[in-house]
Order: sequence, then C-alpha cells, then structure tokens
Amino acid sequence: MASKFGLAGGIPERRVRPIWDAIDSRQFKIALRQSTALLAKFPNSPYALALKALVLERMGKFDEALSVCLNAKELLYKNEANLMDDLTLSTLQIVFQRLNHLDLATACYEHSCGKFPNNLELMMGLFNCYVREYSFVKQQQTAIKMYKLVGEERFLLWAVCSIQLQVLCDNGGEKLLLLAEGLLKKHIASHSLHDPEALTVYISILEQQAKYGNALEMLSGELGSLLMIEVDKLRVQGRLLSRQGDYTAAAKIYQKNLELSPDDCECFLHYLGCLLEDDSSWCNGANSDPIHPAKVVDCKFSHLTDEMFDSRILDASTFVQKLQAETSNNLLRGPYLANLEIERRKLLYGKKNDEELMEALLQYFLRFGHLACFTSDVEKFLLVLPLDKKTELLEKLTKSSSSLSTVPIQVLGQCITLWKIQELIGNMYKLPICELEYTALQMTEMYCKNLPLSKDLDAQESMHGEELLSTACNVLVQLFWRTRNFGYFLEAIMMLEFGLNIRRYAWQYKILLVHLYSHLGIISLAYDRYKALDVKNILMETVLHHIFPQLLVSPLWVDLNNLLKDYLKFMDEHLRESADLTFLAYRHRNYSKVIEFVQFKERLQCSNQYLVARVESSILQLKQNANDIEEEESVLERMKCGIHFVELSNEIGSKSLTFNEDWQSRPWWTPIPEKNYLLGPFEGISYCPKDNLMEQRETNVRKVIEKKSLLPRMIYLSIHSASASIKENFQSNGSLSDPKVSGELKYLLDCYAKMLGFPLSDAIEVVVGVSSGLKSSGAFGANMVDWLNFAVFLNAWNLNSHEVEQPDVNGCGSFSWNIVNSLLKNCILEKVRSMESLICSPPDDLPVLVNMVTEPLAWHTLVMQSCVRSSVPSGKKKKKSGPADPSVSPVCHAIRYSIQSTRGILEDVAKWLGHHINKSEDENLDIIFSSLETNGQDEGPGQVFQALGTYISTINETELGVRTSQALKSWSPIDVARKLVSGQRVVLSEFLQICQSKIKSLQAIQQQMAQV
Amino acid sequence: MTTIRRFCCNDLLRFASVNLDHLTETFNMSFYMTYLARWPDYFHVAEGPVMGKVEGQGELWHGHVTAVTVAPEYRRQQLAKKLMNLLEDISDKIDNAYFVDLFVRASNTPAIKMYEKLGYVIYRRVLRYYSGEEDGLDMRKALSRDTEKKSIIPLKRPVTPDELEYD
Repeated sequence: MASKFGLAGGIPERRVRPIWDAIDSRQFKIALRQSTALLAKFPNSPYALALKALVLERMGKFDEALSVCLNAKELLYKNEANLMDDLTLSTLQIVFQRLNHLDLATACYEHSCGKFPNNLELMMGLFNCYVREYSFVKQQQTAIKMYKLVGEERFLLWAVCSIQLQVLCDNGGEKLLLLAEGLLKKHIASHSLHDPEALTVYISILEQQAKYGNALEMLSGELGSLLMIEVDKLRVQGRLLSRQGDYTAAAKIYQKNLELSPDDCECFLHYLGCLLEDDSSWCNGANSDPIHPAKVVDCKFSHLTDEMFDSRILDASTFVQKLQAETSNNLLRGPYLANLEIERRKLLYGKKNDEELMEALLQYFLRFGHLACFTSDVEKFLLVLPLDKKTELLEKLTKSSSSLSTVPIQVLGQCITLWKIQELIGNMYKLPICELEYTALQMTEMYCKNLPLSKDLDAQESMHGEELLSTACNVLVQLFWRTRNFGYFLEAIMMLEFGLNIRRYAWQYKILLVHLYSHLGIISLAYDRYKALDVKNILMETVLHHIFPQLLVSPLWVDLNNLLKDYLKFMDEHLRESADLTFLAYRHRNYSKVIEFVQFKERLQCSNQYLVARVESSILQLKQNANDIEEEESVLERMKCGIHFVELSNEIGSKSLTFNEDWQSRPWWTPIPEKNYLLGPFEGISYCPKDNLMEQRETNVRKVIEKKSLLPRMIYLSIHSASASIKENFQSNGSLSDPKVSGELKYLLDCYAKMLGFPLSDAIEVVVGVSSGLKSSGAFGANMVDWLNFAVFLNAWNLNSHEVEQPDVNGCGSFSWNIVNSLLKNCILEKVRSMESLICSPPDDLPVLVNMVTEPLAWHTLVMQSCVRSSVPSGKKKKKSGPADPSVSPVCHAIRYSIQSTRGILEDVAKWLGHHINKSEDENLDIIFSSLETNGQDEGPGQVFQALGTYISTINETELGVRTSQALKSWSPIDVARKLVSGQRVVLSEFLQICQSKIKSLQAIQQQMAQV
Repeated sequence: MTTIRRFCCNDLLRFASVNLDHLTETFNMSFYMTYLARWPDYFHVAEGPVMGKVEGQGELWHGHVTAVTVAPEYRRQQLAKKLMNLLEDISDKIDNAYFVDLFVRASNTPAIKMYEKLGYVIYRRVLRYYSGEEDGLDMRKALSRDTEKKSIIPLKRPVTPDELEYD
C-alpha cells in the first residue's frame, strides 16, 4: 500500500504508513491507537476518519465503523477545499463494501465526480462502484463520459460491455445493440481497433443482431489479424458462415480447421452439420444446458434428397479417410470417431446400415478398446442400434477381443470395456442371478490378478484395473436389488474398503461407499468417506449432492451445520467478490470475460442447491433451538420472523433455477437424490432417460423450497397464536387474540394444505380421520412429516380460532390437541415398531423418524412452551385458587396431557434407541458375518468376500511389491464390520441425545405447569 | 472428445471428476478467475484444464504453467502433452517469451517424470515451497528466443521461496 501514499487528504505519508503496516500485519489494536492519534492531529481529515473506520471494521466493531465512515462522508461533502483524492474514497469504499453499504460508497464517488467532473481516476472509481452494484446503465454512462474525456479504446469497450450486459441480463432491447455497434463503427473509422478482445466483442455484437455478413467482413479484413491463434479464428469464421446459412463455405473452413487439429471432434460435428445443411448443432447450442450438454446432437435430414445426402456423406467419408491416413499418432481418436458419426447419421437417415455401424464400432474397439474412455466414446452410437444388434455387437466384440493384443495392460483394458458395454446396453440386468454372481467374482479376481501390473506405479497414481471394483460393486448392488439379500450389499462394502486399503485416493470407491453407507442409514460413515474426498471451493457446488440430502434428514446436526456453513460461506464469498474480479477483467481488457463473469455469478446465485441450503440452514437453527422458546424467538427474530422465506415460497414457482450438480459420478441406483431404485421392486433399467429425471428433480426442488420456506413463519405465528390463546383464556381484561396472527396462519395453512394436494377443509378431514383411526397413516403417503407439521400448525391456529372442534362437543379446546398428540404417537411409534433389526434391513425409515421428532414434534413442544409461558403467572409463586382457577381449565388440562403424551413418545423412542445402542458388538458382528458366509456353496452372497480372503492368503510379495503386499496384509474385514457397528451407534447416539434433551425440556415445562 | 478450446467459467462446473482426483488441486474462485481475467490465452481445456500466465522482465520474461490435469478416463493418451504444447506455443509465438517454467511437488514423481519427457529440466529446488512444508522443484523448458538455452542451466544450490523472482 505504501507506494500509493504520497499526500493523502493532506496527511504526510510518514504518518499513515505505520497504520497501514499495522493493519497489514493484523495488529489492529496498535493500528487503532495510531489512527486515533492521527485523527487528533487531523480532526477534519476524511482520510484519517476512513482509516480509523477501516481499523474498526477489521476489529469487528461494525456499528462504530459505520458511524465513523458516515462522519467521513459528511466531511467529504462539506469539504470546500479541493481535497478529493481517490485514496480517501477507495479506503471509504472498502469499509462501506465490507459493511454491505455499497450504495454509500457509490454516493461518495458520485458526489466527488460531480465536484470534479474531469477527474479520470475518480470516474474509474465510480465505474467500479457501478460494477459492484451491477448497475449496467450507469456503468455505460460513466464509461461514455470517460471515453469522451480521453478517447481511449478501452473506455469505449467498457461502455459496449455495459450495453451488452443490459441486453443479456436486464432484457434490454435490441436498439441497445445497435447503439453499441454504432459507437464501435465510429471509433473504428477514426482510430481502428487494437485489442483482440475488442474485435471479439464487436463480432459478438454483430452476431447477436444476426449480422453475420458484417462480422465476417470484419474478420477477413485487416482487423482479423488481431486474432493470432489460427484455430480460434477459423472457429469463429465457421460459426458465422453456418449461422448465415452459407454451409458450403462453412464446411470448407471447418475442413481447414480439422486439417490443423484432426482430433477436434466438436469441429467435425460442425463440419458434418454444414455438409448436411443442418443447423441443429447451433440451435441446440443456444438452448442447451452448458453444464450438462446432451450426449447426442439432434439431426435434420428432411430437406436433403437421397442423392444429395449420399454425395455429402461420401465427401465426409473421403475427407475422414484422408485424415486417418495422415494421422501418424495412434492415440488420435478423432478421425475414427468421425467415421462412427458418419455411420450414425446414415442410420438415422434410414440407410439401414446397422451392419456398417457395427463394423465401424468393431474397428474402433480393435483400435481403442483398451482405453478407459472407450465406453463413453461409443455410447451415443450404441443408442441408435436396435436391441438385438447391440447384443450381436457385444458378441462380436467379445469374440474379437481374444485375438487382440497380448500386452497385459491392454488385455485388461479390453476386458473392462466389455463389462462396461454390457452395463451400458442393459445386458447386466438380464443375466440370471448365478451368472451375475459369477461376473462379480470374475471382476474381483481379475482385479487381484492384475495387481502386479501396478507394482511400479506411484501410490498416488490410479492403478491399472481400478475400475473393476466399481463395476463389481454395481453388480453386487444389483444382486441385492433383485434378491433383497443383504449379504451382497455388505460384500460390496467389504470389497470397496479392500480397494481403498490398497489405493487410499480412489475417489470413485469413496463416492460409492458414501451411497452404500447412506443406504444403510450409517450417515456418520458416509460423511467420513465424503470428507475424505476433500471437497472444497467450487467442488462443493458440484459434489455436495452426494451427502447433503442424507445429512439433512440425519441427527448429525454438528456435521450438517459445518457442511452448510462451509458451502454458504463459499457461495456468499464468491457472490461478494465476483464484481471485483469482473472489474479486473475490465482493467485487463478481457471484455468477453466481463460478460462471462457476470453471467456466471447469476448462474451461481440461482443455484437450486444454494437456495435449498439457505432455507435448510435456517430450519436447522430452528430445530437446534426448539427446546428453548426464548432462544427460538431470537433465531426467528434474526431471520425477520420468516417473512423473507414466505416471499421466497411465493416466488419459487417462477424463479429461474440452475442445476450445477455433477450427476455423472452418482451410482446407477440413485441417479438423482430423489430417485433410489433400491427402495422399489427390481425392474431392469437398461437405459435411464436422464432428461425426465432432471424434470422430476426440478419439480421436486421447487416443491421442497416452496413448502419448507413456509416453516419459519408458521413456527413464529404458531408461537404467537398459542400465547394469544392463553391470554384470551386467562385474562379478564377482555383483550382478544391478535386477529392478524390468526388470519395469516390460516392463510399459510391453506397454502400448506394445497402443497399437500388438498383444500384446507379436506386436509383437516384427513388429519382428523387418521388421528381418530378412521383412516390409516398410509393416507399421508410419502409426506408423513409434512402432514404432521400441518397438524401441529393447525392446532396452534385452532387454539385461537376454535374452528376445528369435535362434532357435538362444545369447544372444550382439547380436540385439536388430541389430534396432534395421537398423530405423533401413532406415527412415531409405528415407525419405531417397524424397525426391529437395523444392520440388515435398510432403515430408510430412520430418517423419517428423525424428522418426525426434530420437526413436527419439536414445533409442537414450542407451541406447548408458548402456552406454558403465558399460563405461568409471572412473579407469583403460589397457585391461584377459586372458581376462576385456570389450573383446572380444559386448556390447562389439554396442555398438561400433551406434555405428558409427547414426553411418553420420546421416552419410548429413547428406550428403543438405547436397546439398539446397547446391543453387544458381537451380536451385530455375527449378523454381518453370517450374511457373508457361503456355507461351502457356489451360490448366494459371500463368494466375492471369500475370494478376497483366499487371494490374501496366497500373495506373492515379489510380484506385488512391498507397498501393495503390506496393504493387503493389513486388510481386516473385522475392522470394517466394527466400523459399521460403531458408525451406526454414533448415529443412534446422536439421535438419543436429541430425544433426551427434548425429554428434559418437557420435564421443565411440566414443572412450570405445576405452578399454574 | 478432445477438442481443445479456451476455458470458461462454466467449465469449473464441468470438471468435478478431474478435481476429485487426489493430485489435482481445486483452487479458490478468485484464483481461477484472476487467471481468466488476466491471461485468458493461457487457460485452455480438453479433458481437463491447463492454466498459466506470462510474466517477468528482460530475459526472465516467461510463460508459467500453473496447473495441468487430465480426467482419469482420458489419461495415458498424451493429452497433457498436447495442452502443455499449446501453452508453450502461445508463450513462444504470441508472447515471445524466453522459457516456460512450472513448479511441482518434489514428491510428485509421476508428474516430474512426465515433465521430463516433455523436455523440462529441473532448474532449481525451492525449499519448503508448498505451505512451508514440502520442497518444490522449479522445472524449465527453453523457447526459441533463448537461443543459447541460458534460462535452463540448473542452479547449483536450492533457493528459498523469498528468493523467487515471481511467485
């Protein structure tokens, strides 16, 4: 900072330098002392004040910092002398920004620029303020002023970018583009252009207006030489020509591009599209999701005659053959993939060339079958083949593989490929159980057999054949799905843990284990494996989905809190600093990055996961504090009593959401968090259309946010409704309950009921029906927790409104209490009873149980706490007596009964948890290992597990190398089993702790009620 | 698909599987975006990104490879070589630099071997370069402007991070 000093606000540099030094070395106390001394010497210096504010802000004294900053601002405004330097302003700006008052920083710069209209430095500062506020119009106006002042190209481009941002982000009209074009044209006429990025922006402005001819003219003229990377230039030319409809010329350009980079598959697709006069790749490009691009490019042929099609395809084939012939690098897949694409197009056109496509695939296999990317390379070509042909192809590939390479690594690669192809075409789902078992066994044995191949690899490198354990896991999980025999599932866990023992960095195993442990309900282990993935920064946005949904419904609140905190911190930090990085791009004249950064920030801001995390983070706080009504009220106050969340709930239907998650890495049985095939009956899933799943996911996320966002407000209103009802009952001053609370709560109940699929009156009927036993809890479907929440809020509302009463009974006030009490009791204890054994039957019911206790039951206790608080006479220790004694009122009776009932439920759950936690380890280990026993038979689970054991007993250290041998020797299945047992105990113990603290809190209010 | 193109922000969301790899560092956002904002020509992507920059003065004007990585499925196909060559080309032909350099953990033997195959030599050892713990190796490859290959004559003694000209 020192170099920036000079005379700042009239203060000599030597006086301010020590303060900056102290700040830089984080010695804030010293800095504060020095800045206070400086201020005593220069009491009217805005800079001295700004420095002090900066120090105060760093010390966390935000209110003081703001007040000092406001003083500085006032002084600046009053300042009659011409002391308006950028250093003062930028220091103030930093503090205002950190205090979330960007508007005040902007106001200071606006004022200064008004006073000194020709000061370029101040104008740049002001422009930067507008960049931070995303005020594109004001950015444009300021940039134009700067351009007019000094005539520099960069300021014109700043203005042009600001215009483009108005068009792209604020739906600004097309006239704006015309304005940008005019500005650039005029500038080029007088000054030409000097930055390659300026040309890129100009071309994009023309392209956005479909003025492709003009853009091409620009590119082929003198300015075209600004683009120095030839391939980049050709790409732009090809794109412009094809968008213009000049396919012949475009094809030539792409041909040239391919000659320079024959492996460029994207370029080949454009080339072929141009030959076939098909603009699909461009149309799709505009609408498709850039994060999850479709694997298959759509094709249009109807406009081509047969002869035209044949001749164009011939051209393409000839060119591809030429590329293949000229390729000396035998790792170049591009020209061979191109051949496959040609055959695919022919098939789609109706050429009935299945055989040729299969032959091309076979040839591709012979050449690249050993590569790990083979399966993903050929996926889209396999998709167009009919089922019988796929099977025929598989046979051909299998047959040919025996005559292929003898290089062990290549042989191994081909074998893996064949299995992956079987998986891809759905063949695995059709195999009989015994064959599947055999396949899993073969895969595992092959993995072991090939371990010596990786002897000389570094421990950090991935091994040859590493994928085998992942594919074997897929098979074992399928076996579990088909047979419901848990042995296979445990076997998969054992096998992957075995693999991790050898290669501790194999993230693919870790992800599979995250999901396997999650399915068993052992979230503590799932989370351990997730943590071992070292997920940080942007990876959180793409990878969090592997654990986030499971953790949300688990009792591991500390872990969930950490996860949410880290994720929200990352996102919020990026959203905060993004504008400064955008300004950096402006400064370095990388204008296309300016647009990109703003759009990317918007993409992250609209992330569905980010929204869910924000809502869930608030709900977690409410859950954590539900045992203490005062704490809960402070939490609610901090979230503005839930008002913003209600707004979010209302808006979510029309809000644009982005989905940035990486779905590719999810295992087959749960391709999105909402879907878990293992929970349903076995059905072959040869090919899962991800598009439909994505729609399902989007609908689900919107529903979840819509519903959950109402919770904070409903809790807040319920607390108030409950306390108002007591006051109404007990106070004789005639004050009535707040009608606004009741009205709003009824409105939200109405919304909530609609989300559950019913009008309010019908939803009330459902909960009354289930609570009275007339209907089974099955009427709640998969939304049991939501229905219970509804019942809890309904009771809170009814305490005031008395609209839900037992027929033929005159408002004794206990009817809706009873509904909630019996619903909670029935649903929770029913769940408990259904989960007798934990380890060997997947407790997908445990999350529901946890949720019932931590949500509806917790909100119900808050309603009770609120009632009790309002019932207990403040400052009086003695009970009232006499005819108006509230202690004997039906309301009091209902509250007492509810507390007792809720406590009873929790005690039952705690007892059940205690029973499972105290089960002996040996008993659990027995269950695990007995499910892995083969009993000498060649069928059923346990064969893979046994094979691993047999292999370990025969290892050869010279072949394997010391590291692998040691890893194998240290492998202990009993440790894995113990980890399973203790992991489950951790989860249950956390849950038990939650229950116990609730019991304690209920005991406390029971005692309070005794005073009434 | 092995199209090499410029890296863009959305790519940060596309490469989860690359970043999950143990040997690939996931930097913070401002790190990636500073590179994009300042040296977009040095940030390309195929089946994984290569990022770098150009810096230095006089005969120290050089390209720097900050990170290069390839998705596990696409390894052992010489893609890293392609990406490195591209960066070297830009440093050589567009920026007219003297050499390209990179830093690598002294323990990352697979990477060191690969860089050596690509023509890089160990120029010097930087003591405790990585978080004050592990030593780093500064590896260099001379470009056409350095006709006498002066830039890659190995230093005899190791240096400390404070002695680095650019970091």
